[in-house]
Amino acid sequence: MNKMLALMKKDFKLLFRDKMAVFFTFVFPLVFAFIFGSIFSGDGGGSKALKVAVVDLDQTEQSKAFVEQISEADEFTVTLSTEEKAKDLVRRGKRVAYFILPQGFGEDYKGVFAGSPPEVLVGIDPSRKAEAGYLEGSLMKLGINRFEQAFSDPTAMTEQLDASIAQIQESDDIPDEWKSLLNDYLPKMKELTAQEIGNGEGFGFGGEDGAENPMMPLKVTKQEEVVKRSGPQNAFAITIPQGVIWAIMGCVIGFAISIVQEKTLGTMNRLIVAPISRTQIVAGKALGCFVAQIAVVTLLFVVAYFVLGVRFNLPKLILAAVASGICFVGLMMFFASLAKTERSVAGITNAFLLMMGMVGGAMIPLFVMPGWMQAISNFSPVKWAIVAFEGAVWRDFSYGEMMTPVLILIAIGVVAFILGTRMVKLEQA
Amino acid sequence: MIQVDALNKHFGSIHAVKDVSLEIPTGQIFGLLGPNGAGKSTSISIMTGLIDCDSGSVALNGLNPQSKQARFKIGLIPQSIALYEELSAVDNLSFFASLYDIPKNKMSERMDWALEFVGLSDRANDRVSQFSGGMKRRLNLAASLLHDPDYIFMDEPTAGVDPQSRNKLFENVLKLKELGKTVIYTTHYMEEAQKLCDKVGIIDHGQLLALGTVDELLKQYGGDTKVSISSEQGVQHFESGDVSQDLLEALKKSNKVYDISMHRPDLETVFLNLTGRQLRD
Repeated sequence: MNKMLALMKKDFKLLFRDKMAVFFTFVFPLVFAFIFGSIFSGDGGGSKALKVAVVDLDQTEQSKAFVEQISEADEFTVTLSTEEKAKDLVRRGKRVAYFILPQGFGEDYKGVFAGSPPEVLVGIDPSRKAEAGYLEGSLMKLGINRFEQAFSDPTAMTEQLDASIAQIQESDDIPDEWKSLLNDYLPKMKELTAQEIGNGEGFGFGGEDGAENPMMPLKVTKQEEVVKRSGPQNAFAITIPQGVIWAIMGCVIGFAISIVQEKTLGTMNRLIVAPISRTQIVAGKALGCFVAQIAVVTLLFVVAYFVLGVRFNLPKLILAAVASGICFVGLMMFFASLAKTERSVAGITNAFLLMMGMVGGAMIPLFVMPGWMQAISNFSPVKWAIVAFEGAVWRDFSYGEMMTPVLILIAIGVVAFILGTRMVKLEQA
Repeated sequence: MIQVDALNKHFGSIHAVKDVSLEIPTGQIFGLLGPNGAGKSTSISIMTGLIDCDSGSVALNGLNPQSKQARFKIGLIPQSIALYEELSAVDNLSFFASLYDIPKNKMSERMDWALEFVGLSDRANDRVSQFSGGMKRRLNLAASLLHDPDYIFMDEPTAGVDPQSRNKLFENVLKLKELGKTVIYTTHYMEEAQKLCDKVGIIDHGQLLALGTVDELLKQYGGDTKVSISSEQGVQHFESGDVSQDLLEALKKSNKVYDISMHRPDLETVFLNLTGRQLRD
C-alpha cells in the first residue's frame, strides 16, 4: 500500500508542477460552471420581471382592471390561471408567486372612504423573503393607483362618494361622532366634485403619487406555498455537474498520458524492475486518478455550496462521485492501453471524451436536448455521470433511482479497467 | 554470480537473442558490446526480469530475476534518462527509494550518499529539467543505487555525455567494483569497455560472438600487429604475431632507419573483425 501511495504522491507532485494541467483540472471547470451558470441564471442583464400567476375570482370591472394593471407592470410577467393551477405552478417552482383577487375585491376597490381595502391573496414560498418584499411593494404601488383614479375622475368620485355615504349610513360599526362628521363632510365633497364636473377639470389628492394617503391601498394577505424542489435550484445546479465532468475528463486525460509517459521516459522500467508488482503499479495509477477525481469533485461542490448557493444531498453526492470515479478510472486505463505515445493517447482520449461529453450533456444540459439526442446520450458514460450528480443535486433521486446511473457507471468502469489492464503493456516498446 | 543459459527471445519474426549463455563472477565488470540493434538491451531486459525470455534461464546467485527477492538486488540504469524532469533530484530519489522498503531513518542517508557518489549534492533541490545531459546521466545512476543493489545493469550509460561527466561515470563504475558490486555494462564505445571491463562479450544479430577478457579477445580476434619501417630502402609494411622477433629481423636488413611505427590491434579492431564494417542504422 505504501508503494501505491508513493506512486500516487509522485503523480500529484507532477500534476501540481504542471500549471496548465492544474488550470484545466481545477480552475477551468469552475470557470466553466460559473460563466455558464451566470449566463443561464439571467444575471447577465436579462429581464428581472417576476413570473407570477394571477387568479381573478371576483371577475368585476375593478378586478379585471387591476389584473390588467398587473399585466402591464414592468415588475411582473403574468400568467392568468385558475386557483388550483396557480398554486401548483408556485409549488413546482414554475412561478415565483400567485395573486388571487377574491370575491368582493371590486366592491372594496370602489370604497375609497369606507369599507375595507381590497384584499389580494399572495402565495409565495416562505424561503423567498426578498421576492416577497418586492412583490408586496409592487402590489402596493399598483393599489395606490385606485386613489389616483378615484380623485382624477370626478364622475367616478361622485359615485364613490354616493356609495360611501350609503355605507356610512347603514353601518353600525362607525362611532356616532365620526358618522356625524362624515355625513357633514362627504355631501360637501360631492358638491365640490359636481362643480369640478361642470368646470370639466380633474383634481389631485395629496402628493403626486398619492403616497401620502393615509389609507391602505391594498390588503395583502400572504399565503405560504412551500415549493417542491423538483427542478434545479438555480443555473449553477446544472452547470456544476457539467463542470465536474470537465474536471474528471481532465484527470482522465492527465493520468492516461502519465501512464504512457512512464513508458516513453523509461521510468516504467524502473518501476517494473523494483520490488513492486504490476498490479500495484496499475493500482497506484488508478488510485491517483480516483483520488484526483474525488479532489476536484470536492473542490467544485464546496465552491458550489458556499459561493454559488447550490444545495445537494451529501450521501448521494458521495455515491455519484465514487461511481463516476470508478467509471473514469477504468476508461483512463483503457485509453492508456491503446496508445504508445503521449500524443496518441491525448488524441484518443480527447476525441472520445469530447464526443461523449457532447452527447452526454457536458456542454448542453440533457433536459434541453432533443429526444433523439437524449436517446443517443444513453451510450455516453458522461450522461450517466451527469445524471448521478444531478440526482444528488436537484433531481431529488431516491436511492433506488440513484442506482441506475451508479450501477451503469460502475459496470462501464469495471469492464474498461479489466480490458485496459489486460491490454496495457507496461514495458517500454 | 550471474548465470545466463541458452537465452532466446523473439519479437515477431525477429530472433532478437539467440542461445546466449554466459557466466559473470561476482565483483566483476562485464561489458556487453554490440552494434545498434545487436540484442544488448534485450539481453539486459531479460537479465533484469523486465521482459520474459522465450526459452533459457537467468539466475542471479540462483535467484530468478523476476522474484521479489532478486529485485532488491538489481539496480537498473536504463538507456533513457528515466527520471521525472519536473521533480527535483531529491524528489526523484525519494520516490524511487520508496519503492524499495528502505527504512525512513536510512532513506535520507542513502539519498545523501547517492548524490555525493555522483557529485550532485549541491544540486539536490534543483529540478532535473534544469540539469545538463551529463548531470541527468549521473542522477540516472544515483537513482539505481539507493537500495544498495548487488547487480548493477548499466545500459549505455554514457550516451550523449560530456568528457567530464563520462570520466566521473567511469570513476563511479570502478568504485562500484571496489565495493564488491557486479556491473554489467553495455556500450558501443570500445575504449570504455577496454578501460573498464574485466570480461567482455561481443554480441551481434542476437548471437554472442565472443567472450573473454580484453587480452584474450585481442589475441584471439585482433590479428597481428601492423608494423611500418621507414629507411633508406623506402617504407616497409608487414604484419607480425611476434613483433620483437620480426622487427629485429627487419631491422637487420635495413640501412639508416628513419622511423618505426606499430599499430597493435585494439578492441575496436576485434569488434569490427567480428561484426563487420557494414553500417547499422
